[in-house]
Amino acid sequence: MSLNTIIFKNFFKNIKNYTLYIFALIFSVALYFSFVLMSKDESAQEELSSGTLMSTGFLVGSVLLVFIIVTFVMFANSIFLKRRNKELALFQLIGLSRNKVFRILLLENAIIYFGSLFLGIGFGFLVSRLLLMILLKVMQIELPVGLSFSMEAVVQTAVLYIVIFALLMIQNFVFLKRTRLINMLNLNRSSESANKKLGAGTVAFGIIGLAMIILGYWLSVKIFDHSLLLVPLLFGILGLTIIGTYLTFKFSVAFLFNMVRKSKRGHVNVNDVLSLTSIMFKMKSNAFLLTLISIVSALSMGLMSLSYISYYSIDKAIESVMPNDYVFYEEEGLEFYEQLLSENGIEYDSVTIPTIEYDAKDAGAISVDQDMAEQAGASSVHLNIVSDAELDTFDVGENEMVLTGVPYFMETFIDFEISQPLTLVNDEYEYTLELIEVGEEAVLSSFVTYGSPVAVVDEKVYDKLKSHYNYDEEKGAPQEMYALDIVGEDSMEIYELMDDEDNPPFESKISQYTAQMQGTGMMMFIIGFVGFAFLLTSGCILYFKQIGESEDEKGSYQVLRKLGFSEREIMKGLSIKMAITFGVPLLIGLLHTYFAVNAGWFLFGTAMWTPMLTVMGAYVVFYSVFALLSLMYYKKVVKQSM
Amino acid sequence: MILEARDIKKSYGNRLNRTEVLKGIDLNIEKGEFVSIMGASGSGKTTLLNVLSSIDRVTSGHIFIEGQDITNLKDKRMADFRKNDLGFIFQEYNLLDTLTVKENILLPLSIRNMKKSDVEKQFELVAGELGIYDLESKYPNEISGGQQQRTSAARAFIHQPKIIFADEPTGALDSKAASTLLRKLQTLNEKSRSTIMMVTHDATAASYSGRVIFLKDGLVYSTLRRGEHSQEDFYKEIMNTQSVLGGVGVES
Repeated sequence: MSLNTIIFKNFFKNIKNYTLYIFALIFSVALYFSFVLMSKDESAQEELSSGTLMSTGFLVGSVLLVFIIVTFVMFANSIFLKRRNKELALFQLIGLSRNKVFRILLLENAIIYFGSLFLGIGFGFLVSRLLLMILLKVMQIELPVGLSFSMEAVVQTAVLYIVIFALLMIQNFVFLKRTRLINMLNLNRSSESANKKLGAGTVAFGIIGLAMIILGYWLSVKIFDHSLLLVPLLFGILGLTIIGTYLTFKFSVAFLFNMVRKSKRGHVNVNDVLSLTSIMFKMKSNAFLLTLISIVSALSMGLMSLSYISYYSIDKAIESVMPNDYVFYEEEGLEFYEQLLSENGIEYDSVTIPTIEYDAKDAGAISVDQDMAEQAGASSVHLNIVSDAELDTFDVGENEMVLTGVPYFMETFIDFEISQPLTLVNDEYEYTLELIEVGEEAVLSSFVTYGSPVAVVDEKVYDKLKSHYNYDEEKGAPQEMYALDIVGEDSMEIYELMDDEDNPPFESKISQYTAQMQGTGMMMFIIGFVGFAFLLTSGCILYFKQIGESEDEKGSYQVLRKLGFSEREIMKGLSIKMAITFGVPLLIGLLHTYFAVNAGWFLFGTAMWTPMLTVMGAYVVFYSVFALLSLMYYKKVVKQSM
Repeated sequence: MILEARDIKKSYGNRLNRTEVLKGIDLNIEKGEFVSIMGASGSGKTTLLNVLSSIDRVTSGHIFIEGQDITNLKDKRMADFRKNDLGFIFQEYNLLDTLTVKENILLPLSIRNMKKSDVEKQFELVAGELGIYDLESKYPNEISGGQQQRTSAARAFIHQPKIIFADEPTGALDSKAASTLLRKLQTLNEKSRSTIMMVTHDATAASYSGRVIFLKDGLVYSTLRRGEHSQEDFYKEIMNTQSVLGGVGVES
């Protein structure tokens, strides 16, 4: 019997320990490959007007994916190395040199690795079709999804995984070189408990950690009050929360545990043995891991929430900039299309709304945050005045004014106060009205108003303002909006009929809607994809870690069962452990997400709670699956321990 | 002389917080000897075994096996040395659960070129001697602790090493399994003229050997030779020395 046959036999017997590793590897390959394949899909790319956006999005997404995959695979490898240290030590004891042991590892890894690569590519090919269908669905594009295979994508994936393989081999080599034989034989039994003594330092750091997180949260709420310092503040908050989280896990949690343990005075019960003391035993590596998982969860949940918010708000966002189906730059445009539509037998309503532009004084109802306004490039607040006679939906009193079409981000630097006087200015002429309402609904297209709000006033007031109005040719302020609404449903066919290079230019609601749908849909899809990869890998990492710990603690379970504890009692203790290892980082992640989203959601859309809670809910469900899987594995180990 | 240790020192920890476990040990072991090392917990017996058997490195001092200094061998040479000259038996057996008894035993032979028939012959001899020949196709978790330890012993003997190092081989066994194992070790020692060095805290186990070296606080305290004594007499003598040492069989 040669060494090779023994090693192979050993390897194939061991393979069930690798199942999840292989599964995760295959999955990561599939994920990456399908991602690359989609980005190379020509038929889809042709269809999308936002082709460049798509490729940039995919590029950013794939870089992130690579980052996740490398971290994940290397972490999984380190866990498996540690699990096998005894075996590797034995090989050395019977006289294999380290180089030979390294070669064994290389061979084994190569089989697992390239086998997974192969399977993953095949699997990814199938999955990519499904994913592309999902993508097109979110972007609301109807397109038959064909089967196209790209050799380029295969090569790209293969190259990446060969590089990762080289990294893994370096990791293995370093491990073998660094770890002494004597340590290898005793590796499992070494405690990583960082805080044997409960010094004042632990308490202080624990409090500092919590304080940092709270300060970070507080700053995130106040972030737009100090708009000049936006960028440094943003990084400050990030730093505070990340370091704070680490300190919390390393010291606050350890401190709390220590307190509980001390208070027991040695009277630990079975639940403590399995949860408290076991987590403390490996606290050092746990602190880092739990921090990583909290931050990663928060990051992906936050990004997914924000992108979902913008996707979710498209309807409303478009409504606030485009009141009509089509808007034209000039009167001739309107006339041209009226004729075109009539010729094709399409019914329409023409809309023409005259407007004049006045400035609003920074006093009374309006208070402008000057720093912020300068950053936004707005030196003064322009208002487009429209008479209520032109609009069916408005009826304004003689001394009153309604502001509408206020973009949702404008409120970050302008405060509108209702029931306060608002003074309109044009050259020397001033006129004061009372502001009674502020709304988002548009009456003029944003491309007529250039993003300024619209002030609706009484017809008489409008006439008065108009008579004192000096039209400035150079400024070219808007005077009239030419628009038309299609009777019944507008459709892409009508848009395509009108959209021709030789025709006068115009803006279309339906085309804007489609473009936004594609843009944010793509964004959401990619972020969701990467976020899912994050979720999957962090879940897997926790699961691997639990497998490792359950093997290490097998002896404890045996002892406990010999002492007369039932399987159920042991499982109860382990459930607590799972709740802590999975629950605490999740909880902190959720809190981080809430504060992150809360700080900036209004820049992305109009609703926060529904999209955010949807994302969080989905995340929690998927995440819990890994906790359950771990618990099931524990159950198996406990059962077999005796 | 097969093994010669000169002024072995071993310490752990950093510069500020140093614990010296071995404080300068000199030792000579002749070919074919069966030597036990005894001592209280913390006297350094396992550490001594680890450095002598190349699992751990010495802090200072030299170890010669058949005249060759092994304290500064390169990895490749060290591996060759372990392959040809050393065998190990541990308290926790250290068997691979994924391999059968026979495969576990043949593992050391698998890395050298030997004729298949010779391998079979050697296996029959050693496994027969240790009484585990019938178990060859069983997995480690299917056999008793004593049988597992005998498998481990067979693995240590299979390649006819010059020295076998055993770290508390009977530590996890009941007295019957322990005496079976020790008698087998004794027979193999006499028959194959291989050298055995065993760490133990059990006077009964030590009484199977030909010489007992007592360690105290990292130094050799005394040496007992069995000579022409019967095993019972030797046992009593060991017990006496142990009580002088202050650890009357009460250590773990």
